Amino acid sequence: MKKTNDNPTFESYNRDPKLFDEIFDENDNVRDIYKTLFNLYSEHSAKDFGRLNNKAKSSFFNQGITFQVYGDHEIKEKIFPFDLFPRIIDAQEWELIEKGVLQRSKALNAFLWDLYHDKNIIKEGIVPLELISSSANYLDQINGFDPPGGIYNHISGTDLIKHSDGKYYVLEDNIRCPSGVSYVICNRTALKRALFGVFNHYQAHTVTDYAENLLQILETVKPKGVDVPNCVVITPGIYNSAYYEHSYLAKAMGVELVEGRDLFVENDFVYMKTISGPQKVDVIYRRIDDQFLDPLEFKPDSALGVPGLMAAYKKGNVCLVNAPGTGVADDKAIYTYMPEIIKYYLDEDPILNNVPTYHCSRPDELEYVLENVHNLVVKPVDEAGGYGISIGNKLSKDEIEEVRKTLKENPRKYIAQPIMSLSVHPTYIEETECFEPRHVDLRTFTLLGADKEFVLKGGLTRVALQKGNLIVNSSQGGGSKDTWVLKNN
Amino acid sequence: MNLEYNIRYAAKNTYENEASKALWQFLIIPENNETQQLISDEFTNSLKIQVEESINGYNFRTYKIRPKERFDEVEFQADFKLIKRVENIFERVSLEYSKDEYKILRSLEFRVTNDVFLRSTALTKLPHQVEFQFDENISLFENLQNLNSWIKNEFTFKTNVTDIDTDLNHILEIKQGVCQDFTHLFIAIAKEFGIPARYVSGYLHQGNGYFGDSQMHAWVECCLPSSGWIGFDPTNNLLAAENHIKVAHGKDYTDCPPLKGVVFSSGKNETEYTVQVSAQQQQ
Repeated sequence: MKKTNDNPTFESYNRDPKLFDEIFDENDNVRDIYKTLFNLYSEHSAKDFGRLNNKAKSSFFNQGITFQVYGDHEIKEKIFPFDLFPRIIDAQEWELIEKGVLQRSKALNAFLWDLYHDKNIIKEGIVPLELISSSANYLDQINGFDPPGGIYNHISGTDLIKHSDGKYYVLEDNIRCPSGVSYVICNRTALKRALFGVFNHYQAHTVTDYAENLLQILETVKPKGVDVPNCVVITPGIYNSAYYEHSYLAKAMGVELVEGRDLFVENDFVYMKTISGPQKVDVIYRRIDDQFLDPLEFKPDSALGVPGLMAAYKKGNVCLVNAPGTGVADDKAIYTYMPEIIKYYLDEDPILNNVPTYHCSRPDELEYVLENVHNLVVKPVDEAGGYGISIGNKLSKDEIEEVRKTLKENPRKYIAQPIMSLSVHPTYIEETECFEPRHVDLRTFTLLGADKEFVLKGGLTRVALQKGNLIVNSSQGGGSKDTWVLKNN
Repeated sequence: MNLEYNIRYAAKNTYENEASKALWQFLIIPENNETQQLISDEFTNSLKIQVEESINGYNFRTYKIRPKERFDEVEFQADFKLIKRVENIFERVSLEYSKDEYKILRSLEFRVTNDVFLRSTALTKLPHQVEFQFDENISLFENLQNLNSWIKNEFTFKTNVTDIDTDLNHILEIKQGVCQDFTHLFIAIAKEFGIPARYVSGYLHQGNGYFGDSQMHAWVECCLPSSGWIGFDPTNNLLAAENHIKVAHGKDYTDCPPLKGVVFSSGKNETEYTVQVSAQQQQ
């Protein structure tokens, strides 16, 4: 590849014209926004990057920023691999993302309120009843309950990708206990340690203000009658893969990190055991799933939660963040209705694209799907962990016929979506000691409180380290990058 | 006319080894509703621990107790006084057949409003078709009365053949069980047809020779478009009326066991409880 000029670390960088490359345009020129960075990186040799890469790695280990991988024989402590080449998002592009994710979070909040109150969107036939009644995540216990401040999804993690058409698409809204924000902050620190100089050439927004904003959000949803709320973070414990994040957030907010056994409920108030006696707790940022929150209400054998917590919550004496029951709104089937949900509650057009979805239950859409099976991903609507998904371009002729037959027999059960391709970004690969293109996505973090909202200017760019792999999950060997959102010039 | 009830609930928990920490939740307080009014309630325990009043997930009143010292045995006793109004249920229920009733039952609005009690749960899932058939040429109420007597005729009341986790597959096979089992079966069949149905836990008038009156009883409430929630007791083939004192409802038994506890102890533990219900006519 000639366009990588004399930069030896880009020797084996092969741009795939079918994919959107974040730093090279279609003529193999470096995009404007990356030019300075690219030139700065050209000053380093491959050996330098190898050394910096190792330095960054040990910095993560030394800070204890690790997660555990459960293998066949042993549990391995691993770091979430960090990549030295940051992703840059300009101010204009970011404005769109920020408005878009905020719009989705607000729409989802309104949707949750409706699902747990009048259920108008279902009564009007916009979202099918079956999607809700078949959801194991709908909590009857909070039906008719008003969460403090009217907020359900205080914290939302929205996963975006850039498709080959250069546009952002939302893949998923995570509104249970989205994780990853601590990596955003650690990645910034790590890159500053490794290559401080590059920050002199770019005006990137800070990401370290997340914790203070999170604390403010928690304080906006304090129970009635409380002046200065006592907030805590509750974790399932040190064996949880996100424990580092739980402890980081508690420390950065200056609040206590607790486990279920540190709390108790008396007369429907929650208290924390301390050496100087019980201390009332008002707001709990919980990193425990709904089913483990309270053994009296949910899984009776769970020791992670606090017996009596739900009663305290329902009496309005404590606020849980995110609210129990949000899971009903973040499953695959609901995702396909997001454009309608946004329109219904906000009377706005969606700012960010949803991956277009064809419902085979609708005759004209079924026809299109039947003709285009080879170009589509066909999935069952009732999500069942990847079971029954067929990816069009990987099917043989016979298999395509098979899918068509199934669709005709049971159209209501299936939806279809175009095959999305994640954009690629230069990523340092240890084996070749070079930067190579790897697929990336972006998780953003949005906070909603009573009369306060915040979108972290940055995000977690996850990268699939295996060549050609589209799976960016950390458990599947994914890594991550520092993500810069530039200030307006 | 009214009935004045005196209800006593007594329980005893014993633990093989001393337990250090516990939290018990009792869902045994009769609810206040249109036909019953709680006059007094008193709850005591042998450990002399202060009783907390709280709610369960469905806003029914509960007692909570949290011992602060070690224990290997504990006794509880609750006494309730209650006035029950004797109502003629047929003033509320329309016996007359109406096509509209079925139409409303199938309407989206009705299904959405009652969604929680239309979903099947692990304990109220029919494993296969049963012989009982709904007849759309008679009223819903009549159908449910038929279902009530069908269960009473086909199944035999027998204790110690089932437990709290027994699923319908087993009940249908052995054709025996207790009030919980028949209640689950009724709920499952009603829901399958699209009638919202919920599990009710409560007390039953003693001395009339009804089945299931020595312990806490269970029956069904169904939501009929024309008359609202109506109680059916398939164990006795009765309508739930002045003999039935409601405590709480839920989707199935797991939403309303009278006693739930989180106890930190090792070894075996046992719970025994008894219920006494006596009634007097009020002038």
